[in-house]
Amino acid sequence: MSADAALIAVHDITKIYAMEGAPVHALRGVTIDIHRGEFVAVVGPSGSGKSTFMHILGCLDRPTGGRYLLDGRDVSHLPDDDLSAIRNRQIGFVFQGFNLLARTSAVENVELPLLYAHDSRISPGERRRRAMTALAAVGLENRAEHHPNQLSGGQQQRVAIARALLNDPAILLADEPTGNLDSRTSVEVMDIFQRLKKERGITIVLITHEPQVAEYGSRIVRFKDGRVVSDHPNSSRRTAAEELAAVALGAAEDQA
Amino acid sequence: MPTRSSLAIAFRALRRNRLQTSLTIIGMTIGVAAVLAMIAIGTGAEAAIEDQIRAAGMNLIVVTAGNYKVKATDDFGGGAVEPSAALRRHDDVAQSSGACEKISVVCATRVMSFFSPTLLAHPEDDPMEKHDHPTARQRLGDSEAGLGSAATLTAEDAEAIRGIRGVQYVAEGLHQNVHVKAGDKRWFTRLNGTDLHLPLIRRAWTIPSGRFFNAGEQSRAEQVIVLGSVAAQRVFSDKNPVGRDVTIWNQPFRVVGVVTTTSWMVAPAPGDDQFDAVYMPFSTVHRLLNLAKLNDITITAASTGEVSPIMSEVTRLLRVRHGIGDEKPDDFTVTTQARQALARGGLRPDVARAVVGNVSGLEKVTLEQLGKTLDRATRTMTALLAGIAAVSLLVGGIGIMNIMLLSVTERTREIGVRRAVGARARDVRSQFVLEAVVLSVTGGVIGVIVGLAAAQGLSRYLHWSTTISPVAVILSVGVAAAVGIFFGWYPAKQAARLDPIQSLRYE
Ligand SMILES: Nc1ncnc2c1ncn2[C@@H]1O[C@H](COP(=O)(O)OP(=O)(O)O)[C@@H](O)[C@H]1O
Ligand SMILES: [Mg+2]
Repeated sequence: MSADAALIAVHDITKIYAMEGAPVHALRGVTIDIHRGEFVAVVGPSGSGKSTFMHILGCLDRPTGGRYLLDGRDVSHLPDDDLSAIRNRQIGFVFQGFNLLARTSAVENVELPLLYAHDSRISPGERRRRAMTALAAVGLENRAEHHPNQLSGGQQQRVAIARALLNDPAILLADEPTGNLDSRTSVEVMDIFQRLKKERGITIVLITHEPQVAEYGSRIVRFKDGRVVSDHPNSSRRTAAEELAAVALGAAEDQA
Repeated sequence: MPTRSSLAIAFRALRRNRLQTSLTIIGMTIGVAAVLAMIAIGTGAEAAIEDQIRAAGMNLIVVTAGNYKVKATDDFGGGAVEPSAALRRHDDVAQSSGACEKISVVCATRVMSFFSPTLLAHPEDDPMEKHDHPTARQRLGDSEAGLGSAATLTAEDAEAIRGIRGVQYVAEGLHQNVHVKAGDKRWFTRLNGTDLHLPLIRRAWTIPSGRFFNAGEQSRAEQVIVLGSVAAQRVFSDKNPVGRDVTIWNQPFRVVGVVTTTSWMVAPAPGDDQFDAVYMPFSTVHRLLNLAKLNDITITAASTGEVSPIMSEVTRLLRVRHGIGDEKPDDFTVTTQARQALARGGLRPDVARAVVGNVSGLEKVTLEQLGKTLDRATRTMTALLAGIAAVSLLVGGIGIMNIMLLSVTERTREIGVRRAVGARARDVRSQFVLEAVVLSVTGGVIGVIVGLAAAQGLSRYLHWSTTISPVAVILSVGVAAAVGIFFGWYPAKQAARLDPIQSLRYE
């Protein structure tokens, strides 16, 4: 694979849901290349096909038509078990609703992907160690034994991010990760994303309907009615770390 | 996915809904306990009947040296041939059968609990008579009539009989009346030279201290002896005789064990043939008395149904071995206890009634028919009981299916999450099957415990005979697991079929 080949190469993919009556065209021919280390923000109105697109990128679903090369491999028509393996090894998901297992501690939630790492035998001790490392990376090592209902929304989303990162995926897919968070915690989550891109070179696809959240990406793709209507680098990129520092400074000044 | 973590996941999932989980487990527990208890009752009844058959000596064949048939009537009636008759004078027999008729209940009870070749005809069986000691004349009467004079059986005959198909145990028999001495104590009793398997032939025997003599001692004809509890009491009072020496024929014998009975129907007493007696290897008797013949050979059939064929085979074999021509009579007598037992009501009344009710013309019944009828009756009962219990197991299984279906619905989102992080459809399926199995096996294990307790209770308080074999226990847990797999399969399949995206969106 040549260095400049796209990690994600989507060519003219369509997705049609066969509904009773009229079929729903969720995607009407989307072509896009995403390279390693990009932070792509996907924006668009509700129902424009963003989530459908992400599910296909994440191998949770297959396109009706078109071709999807993931790291050079055509995954458009792979059998179910192969898609599971790809999700396990190459992709991490973060959802709007966190999707943590209830009545299960943070660290056990984070361990989950390792339970399904079929090709490698990982001891329970090693699993726990790696889960703790991932939790530490999102600043939650001291909340490991907390259950989701004992954590704030921001903390829950960070646990979900730790889980998504556990198998060192190449791609992080986030569908409205800040949708249930207040603006301050949203910035914290964006800070984590930006650090992941910078420090680990993880490729991030962030779906959001909030334009100001999209500003954290390095590239903004706009969806409408199942099509890409614009795709350009983000000229007015926001940096979460700076904003957090400024807020901290402001708070310090207020106290003084 | 490692099994250990799958199990951990299953347990954790089940712990989340404690009440539902407990109720489901209780359902399984009742099912398995019921099945186990019913099997215990069924096989207990089978074993009890089998026991009655054996206790009545129904699988017992005795070959006696000589042919002393007093009355050759073979039909069922008072005149059945007694093996002991061969060793006895005719007037003795007449006298004792008379006694037995008067007190047939006592005789019958005794026949049920154990078999002894001389028991029925023994003059001391008359409970009206008090004995503190059998007279020498009575004892010697036995040997005068039988021993030595008609010595036609040999240890080789016994060995040959061991080779017959369907034969379970064979015991050589040599009988002498002896004085047993230890210190200044002396007791006149019956000495039996026999085979080490005798305790397995005698049903209600137990060895409270020491052991029966072993194969080595038998083959080396060692001077070891096992005392019947009455003899032991007379010679050693309350001291433990094991390890001590007794003297017989001016020879020392090391006591290796004491035998008595577990049957509450028989209290060992002086004059008793089994426990006012001593036992040693027949080879030792042969060596010390320089004998080569046997008084009798006791044979047990592995199953009651084989008694008749074994009898004819024994007859054929011995005639060949003894070189008896076609026209000549046997020089031995083959008898079974079964006919006497049936005739004298040796069976428990309910069993006898069952037999009579199931077989027309009881007097024509062969042992095979009897055995088969009893087998069929008890099998039917066991199957019926187990069938009824199986229904409760089915209900338990439906309970599992119910909770698992509920669980799949409740945990749809969890299934979506697992799929998203890489679980394959089959991982989800096996997780749910495993949960169902954990439920059913937990219920099964508790059910086994409850079932064991129930069976115990039934036998203790209602005096029902129950038998629980390890096989039944393993089978119960196995069936429980199978129920889990069977009833967990459909919900698990539903779970595995869920679309990951739909599950993730599920509210
Ligand atoms: N499973 C489905 N069945 C039928 N229609 C669907 C399904 N999923 C999504 N759609 C439809 O596809 C279109 C795109 O949906 P989605 O990708 O969720 O949009 P977005 O995430 O941008 O809001 C919508 O019209 C939606 O109703
Ligand atoms: Mg959406």
